Amino acid sequence: MTKTKRDINYKTALIGWSLPSIEAIDQMKRPFVIVGPPGMEDYAKKYDLPYISWDFEDYKKRVSMEEVCDHCEELFHALENENVKLAVPLFEDTVEWAAAINARLQNDPKIFKHSLLFRDKAKMKRRALMGGLKVGVFEEARTKEEVKQFLRRVNDALLKEEEELDPIHVKAFNKAGDVGHRVIRSEQDAEQLEEETFPCLLESHLDGVEVSCEVFIHNGKIRFLNITEYIVFGYSMMAPPSPPIEKQRKKIRGAVQALIKAFDIKNGLIHPEFFIDENGSISFIEVAHRIPGGNIFDLIQKTYNFNPYQAHILVSDPNTTDEELNKFFPKEHKFKGHAGSLMVYPRVEKIEKLNVPQELEEHPGFDRHTMFTPVQRKVEESEGFGNPHGVVFFHHDDCDHVKQPLQDYAQHDFFI
Amino acid sequence: MAVQMNTGGEINTFEAAFNNLQQAAPYAKEMYQNHVFQVAKKLAETREGIKELYEFAPKFEEAGVFEGGPWENPSKLQPALVNGSLRVDGVESIVALLSELRMLALAKETYTHENVTAEDAHEYLNEVMANNLDFIFPEEVDEDGDEQGKETERAQRLFELVVDELTLQSISSTLISEIKRLTVQRPIMTNRIRVMIRKAEQLMHEDVDEQDREEIERFHYAISTLTPLTREFEDYGEYRQQLKEISEEELEEEAKAFGSSLHDTGLVSPYHVVLMRHLNRNDKKELMKFALGLSDNGYAHLEEHYEMVQQLIKVAVHIPTRQSIYGLARLLERGVLSQTPVKPGLRRLIELDINQDVRNTLMDATHSKKEGLTANDVLTAGVMSVLGQPLGIGQGLNPTCQSARALSLWSIHAPGYLLELIPRAARDGDIDVSFEGQPIHSKDLPGGLAPELHEELDPVSLVLVPHLDRIYAEMVRRVQFRGDDPHKWVNPAFYGDWIPKGFSKVFQHNTQNIVDYQGFVRLFYATHHPEYNEGHEMIYPNPVGIAITTVYGNFLGFHAITIQRIAKDSEGNYRVYFYNPNNDSSQNWGQGIEPAVQGHGEIEGESSLPFHEFVSRLYAFHYNPYEQGDSFAVDSNNLEEIERLAKESWGQEFQWL
Repeated sequence: MTKTKRDINYKTALIGWSLPSIEAIDQMKRPFVIVGPPGMEDYAKKYDLPYISWDFEDYKKRVSMEEVCDHCEELFHALENENVKLAVPLFEDTVEWAAAINARLQNDPKIFKHSLLFRDKAKMKRRALMGGLKVGVFEEARTKEEVKQFLRRVNDALLKEEEELDPIHVKAFNKAGDVGHRVIRSEQDAEQLEEETFPCLLESHLDGVEVSCEVFIHNGKIRFLNITEYIVFGYSMMAPPSPPIEKQRKKIRGAVQALIKAFDIKNGLIHPEFFIDENGSISFIEVAHRIPGGNIFDLIQKTYNFNPYQAHILVSDPNTTDEELNKFFPKEHKFKGHAGSLMVYPRVEKIEKLNVPQELEEHPGFDRHTMFTPVQRKVEESEGFGNPHGVVFFHHDDCDHVKQPLQDYAQHDFFI
Repeated sequence: MAVQMNTGGEINTFEAAFNNLQQAAPYAKEMYQNHVFQVAKKLAETREGIKELYEFAPKFEEAGVFEGGPWENPSKLQPALVNGSLRVDGVESIVALLSELRMLALAKETYTHENVTAEDAHEYLNEVMANNLDFIFPEEVDEDGDEQGKETERAQRLFELVVDELTLQSISSTLISEIKRLTVQRPIMTNRIRVMIRKAEQLMHEDVDEQDREEIERFHYAISTLTPLTREFEDYGEYRQQLKEISEEELEEEAKAFGSSLHDTGLVSPYHVVLMRHLNRNDKKELMKFALGLSDNGYAHLEEHYEMVQQLIKVAVHIPTRQSIYGLARLLERGVLSQTPVKPGLRRLIELDINQDVRNTLMDATHSKKEGLTANDVLTAGVMSVLGQPLGIGQGLNPTCQSARALSLWSIHAPGYLLELIPRAARDGDIDVSFEGQPIHSKDLPGGLAPELHEELDPVSLVLVPHLDRIYAEMVRRVQFRGDDPHKWVNPAFYGDWIPKGFSKVFQHNTQNIVDYQGFVRLFYATHHPEYNEGHEMIYPNPVGIAITTVYGNFLGFHAITIQRIAKDSEGNYRVYFYNPNNDSSQNWGQGIEPAVQGHGEIEGESSLPFHEFVSRLYAFHYNPYEQGDSFAVDSNNLEEIERLAKESWGQEFQWL
């Protein structure tokens, strides 16, 4: 760390507004500037945080992702004036902006194009397939008819009949997390898709346990690999994973390495997702080049006792030394218990009150939760899962004390 | 392993969460506040826990507990908002609790703040305590009553600590003035006052000053063992026996003691019932004068209608209906029994065949089962109160101010009509009122504003309000699409021909915009202010609409009240004297506008305001178009001041054209 303090005479630009990342870079005493939405400017001003206001939302309406590079001139100059030498993206939507800035800073247009690999799920799949990763069958669809065709073809190949069709998945090209993800089990399902869904990505269904990896990469090498086990998809996750998955760490690492090679990733954090089937065969689902959702970083911090937000910034900077990194990251097998998080979504239209069962709070694995009865009682409709209204955290040495409640309480109504 | 929140280690968890918050940079505090609030919520589940939180209070602010929120600056906090905040199911009630603990630390000087002195903090907390008597002196919850909210219980625990840390002296006088403020209005329903008195009794053993102690004792005795004899013979039966044995002089002394307390407080002790019945049984007419605290005029009425009074006491004066003694006293003072239809009307009630539902309602609401009373007794007692205390009628916790003021008006000006309506409703389950030539029967109507009536009401309201409320709603429904405000037609039909036909309202119908405000005010002056309306005196009460505002002058809602009279006070200023059916008439309306309930010549149950202050909250009134003076004569400075008061308060919510 001493080295860091002394040597860094340039600023890092954080692209997007995220308090934990701001706190992380501030704690490391690295010079920085925040590029965030106009709505946060007053807050930044109040606390004297270096801030450049940038209306990402407005650009999103006017400019396609591929054109971002041509529209970042003004921002680039502003950052150049600030002596910024590195841009770090914090959110899915800012990945291309950070890359566009880095491309200019390093005078390498490829950096921007490279970032789009992570922003277009079809492009991403093709690249992974060409890089030798196992992926499901996939296609791009423009109409409902194409969705139905794909469902028919996949099931034809599986020799499945009308009654027992294998589902297929519809995903948006460029949205984070589960947003825009639909499971299609029949032609009726396909018929009900909205026009805005198209174009989209179609994928065959893969079976198995789903995991995500949080991979801190520097100079093309894995510096730290966290594996997160998805307990109930969309609701709950646990890190480190339970022993059957932990046993396959080596294999998973192999898949991650293949991914790094296929995508030619040098520095930064990636967040890929995989299926592991009964035979231990690993299929690639998708990969993001940003901080994962679902409080995964909180889980890592709790059990590995390092600050992943700091790690993210460290590995994003090509100038960070091996020595610094060795000192920073703990051994992957040295963790303190299992940590889990359960995201809570209201299933009512109007919240009457909070309903946290006493058994939950008395459960040995229970750590804490973040919920209060909200001021806004009306629940806004949202696409996909929407933003969680709260999180329940678990932590225990015995992973069953974490995994079991993560499963059990996924269906519990915390807001009634 | 995780630190468990549930194994008694909360304080350790709190400390850890608190340290994280404390160490965080100011801009990052909000990431750590939630956890602190969560553990604080857990800790606040016990009294011990609140104490432990209090230990941290001197460090709250510096640690960033309030960073970025409305509680950030203690010098900007409003005592009046605390009660509401503490009741919120959500994080607000937790932050409010922590904020009160900080204030307590400031008052006790374990913490200092550049903008808030210990004295400021004391003053603030005294006001908070005064506003939160319901938490400090919680009402007993019936066994079958609703479970109290977690928030209420938590607030009660908080105030246990506050009261422990601060002296009770400061609130004893507030509590007493609160009791006085309520009693001076002489409501028919005295439950709330009785609860406060019983709570104040706890202060008698505390370190309060002598004058306060005497006041508390006065009220305490007013509702219990008022005389030495009752203290000696606390059992009602024994006291009754004693009354037979004491001398005539001693009996007179008993009667005088009860009569004077009744006169002073409007509250009736159960022993008073025993005494009244004794005097009645033994035909002690002269002593009844003392026991009822009657004037010569009142006594003249007693003599004139003695037989009737004897019958009323026999039927209606029982321990559960004891407040009817005050009703009887006031009724005699008002001379109501001399109005022709009243006596037969009352006699009819005694034998009325009350329908089963009404009977149950009456017995339940007055807790009169197992007391050997009939529903007729309860209803008669209720009618005595209503006829005696027309301005003591209250809407309770119901949105039925319209019906309450109708009862009040009829009690004053048409007791015969009222005595027609009561048996119709109690016996037939129906009343009918004619509206523009067509009869409206309440039994044919659904709902009304209060389909579920909150039953802490006087017996007459219990019987009539459900019918009146439905009829009023039906009348409004029938004229709602006419080009002007429905009240214009509904009020004269509903209340009766006492209501003048002219009607003016500040809002443009349909748009709710305010048009020609000054014209509206001028018209009110020219029809109501004795100096501008050519001296026409107000004869009948005028039902008017006012915009109720909060202590900060913010618009709260529309409310129906009745102007009783307009007159000069002792200082020669014109005031509007009005009846507010909410029985809590001295709320603070902001901008320095605070209706008074005493001190300006108010009769019991009236509130009053200086004329122009009242007008600034007025939005609709009736007037007699034939009794209109010179509206141009009204001073324009006065008009501008009224307009400013209206515009800067409730008027902010509306468009002014």
